[in-house]
Amino acid sequence: MTNDRNDLTLQRFPGRRSPGEGGNASTLAKPYRAFSVGRIGAITVNTLTELTRLKVFYFLLVFALLLIGSSMFMAQLTFQQEFQILKDVSLGAMSIFTSLLAIVATARLIPQDIEDRTIYTILAKPVPRLEYLLGKIAGVLLLLAIGTLVMGAVFFLVLYAREQTLVHVTMRQMAAAPREQIDEALRAVRASAFNSDILPGIVIIYLKACLLAALTLFVSTFATTNIFTIVVMAFIYFIGHLQAIAREYWLQEHSSGWISRVFLAVVALIFPDLQAFNLVDDIVAGTAISLGLFFKTAVLGVFYTTIYTLLAAFVFYGKEL
Amino acid sequence: MTDPAVAVRGLTKLFPVPFHRQSVVAVRDLDLRVEPGEVYGLLGPNGSGKSTTLKIILGLVSPTRGRTEIFGRDSRLVESREAVGFLPENPYFYKYLTGEETLRFFGRLCGLGGAPLKNRINELLTLVGLTKARKRRLGTYSKGMLQRIGLAQALIHDPKLVVLDEPTAGVDPAGSREIRDLILDLRRRGITVLLSSHLLAQAQEICDRVGILADGVLVREGRLQELIAIENQTELVIADASPPLVDEIESLINRSNAKLIERRKSTTTLERLFLEATAKNDEARMSNDERITKQK
Ligand SMILES: Nc1ncnc2c1ncn2[C@@H]1O[C@H](COP(=O)(O)OP(=O)(O)OP(=O)(O)O)[C@@H](O)[C@H]1O
Ligand SMILES: [Mg+2]
Repeated sequence: MTNDRNDLTLQRFPGRRSPGEGGNASTLAKPYRAFSVGRIGAITVNTLTELTRLKVFYFLLVFALLLIGSSMFMAQLTFQQEFQILKDVSLGAMSIFTSLLAIVATARLIPQDIEDRTIYTILAKPVPRLEYLLGKIAGVLLLLAIGTLVMGAVFFLVLYAREQTLVHVTMRQMAAAPREQIDEALRAVRASAFNSDILPGIVIIYLKACLLAALTLFVSTFATTNIFTIVVMAFIYFIGHLQAIAREYWLQEHSSGWISRVFLAVVALIFPDLQAFNLVDDIVAGTAISLGLFFKTAVLGVFYTTIYTLLAAFVFYGKEL
Repeated sequence: MTDPAVAVRGLTKLFPVPFHRQSVVAVRDLDLRVEPGEVYGLLGPNGSGKSTTLKIILGLVSPTRGRTEIFGRDSRLVESREAVGFLPENPYFYKYLTGEETLRFFGRLCGLGGAPLKNRINELLTLVGLTKARKRRLGTYSKGMLQRIGLAQALIHDPKLVVLDEPTAGVDPAGSREIRDLILDLRRRGITVLLSSHLLAQAQEICDRVGILADGVLVREGRLQELIAIENQTELVIADASPPLVDEIESLINRSNAKLIERRKSTTTLERLFLEATAKNDEARMSNDERITKQK
């Protein structure tokens, strides 16, 4: 081994090459391409690895425990009430946890790289700044997707378990009753456990988290500290939920001339209308989410996420590292 | 005519100081050319603008005035970095990655993949002597080990130009001698090296040409041999000479027009002493490493 270390004149390398020979490409790497999914993928995987090794997934454990815990002491309610509360608590918690995860995981992503100077080694490779940023945000969105899937799965499991228990209890209690009555009762139990709006609701929760992640990324490109980013995001989060009410009030007071329209558009860009992503109440109440509303909200989420990522890229391009 | 490996023309960089009118001048009107295949040393005291210059060459910092090129391509273009490997000063990588994962990550950023990348990683880990530590997270690496993985990372895509910012900072004498040998080997293979240092003895050993920066201004530049030669002096180093012989030589000199300036016993350098004294422990150190790996 000692020999190996001292004998650094490696025969391992291919033969010598005359200086300045043929083109600029190195011998090993493929020629540079302006946009490379491979490079973005490398950064995405790296970001995801970083976040998982930071153990942010413990968030999800807390969520699961909260859910199971809450479904324990609801035995004295009617089953309709029980399912309503279960859905209310679960979807509400999912919304808060994914939002929290989005903000906390994104806030430190870029400032940390700059502080540790790891960004120098990355950008000294042929990696455009836009690709770096896209890779980072994609890593967070992937983390959020995994998080949402895990939480969704726990939620469905708990819901299914309660439903099965109730089905058994009902069958035992109504053992003497006629066939049709039993079927009727079971249908009622099943109907109040699952409704088809849960899935779109979860998708919207995910998109809201994506939006918040992209906005956090944008804020973090000009923030000086992580604390600043998180405080600003907390502020935006609350304003964002109140925005719709404020807007109605404003429109009542002022005429809807173009100045106030522009003003409202700017406000809507800085403080996205987060209340629009809050479909939990509708789902719990059992009112169906129309396909139109779902698509409108989904498009809004994707639109905001894209805009914020592009804004982040814009600021990041001019940034002195 | 071939393009120079690095060309810097009229480069000035000002850093604004918050809440002050005037700004810090990091580099002032710098002109520099590094020819393909040479080892160029950028020397200078702390704060003289070495790192700033290198960062501008790599497009990490934007110049206030002037322009920089790598093999004829503007540093502001991403593709100018295609054939460059960079080791920043005090490199710091993702703590949560192992040595192997770090190299894989940087390899993929350079468009490598599959078996060639795998082979290249093995090659480089052997080259920098980190095969034993390949599965350890970088958070547990010592400063010298980080410097080595940084060097491996810079060489991952077999670049034509290697830019090293104080490659031997924090590395022990044995390690820094290895890095020196490595740089000499790069030169043998026709790879251009641009490095910064304030360790003059080391720069003297490896650089073909040096430029000396002071307060952001290039105060000296040229071929090392020409810069440091004292034209009218000659040194003799004699082994096993008896005192009468030395006296005779001295009187010979006195009889001519020449003048004897100094007569002293040769001394070994502290570096050589250090290396000799620690060489035996080198194996012990290695087996120590091994023991740690085995315990895991
Ligand atoms: N981001 C920055 N903001 C403000 N001033 C800076 C910045 N980076 C460097 N400087 C200033 O520019 C000057 C040159 O710094 P630089 O890091 O290039 O020196 P150096 O030659 O590499 O020194 P060292 O040997 O200590 O590494 C210093 O006065 C430094 O304070
Ligand atoms: Mg420096």
